[in-house]
Amino acid sequence: MSPRTKKIRSIQRRPNFAGFKPYGSQSASASEIPLNFEEYEAIKLCDYEILTHKEASAIMNVSRPTFTRIYESARRKIAKAFVEGGVISFEVGKSIVNTLWFTCNSCKITFSVTENNLHICPFCQSANTTENK
Amino acid sequence: MKIAFALMENHHRSCVDEHFGRCDWYCIYDTKSKKSKYIENPNRYAEEGAGCTSAELLIEQGVETTVAGRFGSKVVEIFKKNNIQMIVPDDKNKTMEDLIKSIKN
Repeated sequence: MSPRTKKIRSIQRRPNFAGFKPYGSQSASASEIPLNFEEYEAIKLCDYEILTHKEASAIMNVSRPTFTRIYESARRKIAKAFVEGGVISFEVGKSIVNTLWFTCNSCKITFSVTENNLHICPFCQSANTTENK
Repeated sequence: MKIAFALMENHHRSCVDEHFGRCDWYCIYDTKSKKSKYIENPNRYAEEGAGCTSAELLIEQGVETTVAGRFGSKVVEIFKKNNIQMIVPDDKNKTMEDLIKSIKN
C-alpha cells in the first residue's frame, strides 16, 4: 500500500537566503542537510514568534500532532548540522506560500497582494515587479 | 489612501521599525490630504498579542496599507482577512520621508 499523501503545509513567507554554512571549518567535506520550508516555518512560529504548537499548527493548516512532528524533525536536522558542522540548505518540501509577496524593481519594496490590487507597486505604480518565489 | 508606518521615533526622518507589533510609534499618513498623525503604540510592552491589538487599532483608524520591517504570523492573518496590504522595505535605512517621496498617484 502506498503511504498516505502529505497535506500541503502553508507557510507565510520563504526565507530570503538559501541556507546556513558553518564558519572556520577546516574540512571541505561538510555534509549538506536539506531543511524544508515547512520546518523553517515551524521553528520560526514556535521559537521566534513564541506561539504554542496549537496556534502554530492552525497557521500552517495541519493538525497539532503533525506540527509537532515537523518541528521535531526540524530540531533534529538543525542539531545534526550544528554538531557535525554540516551545511543547511533550504528546499521546497511539501509547502505552498500562503501569502503572495511581490518585490518592486524600481523602489525596492516587498508588498503583499490584496484582492483589489494585482501586481502593481503600491508606491510608484510601476508594473515592473517580480514574485517572491 | 491611508498608510500606517511602524516607526522607531515620532518624526518624518525616523526609520521604519523592524517589528510591526513592538514598534514605539505608528504614523498614519493620508496620501490625499498629505497629513500625518502619530500614535504611540500602547501595546509595545505587552506580554503577548502586541501585533494583533495594534493591527485592530489601525484597522479602526481606516488604514488600507501598512509598512513595517516584519509582520508576525498572526498579524498577517488579520491583515489578509481585512484585505489590508503589507509592505516591507528592502533597505532598512530608508526613512519614512524617503518612502513617502516614492509614492506617485
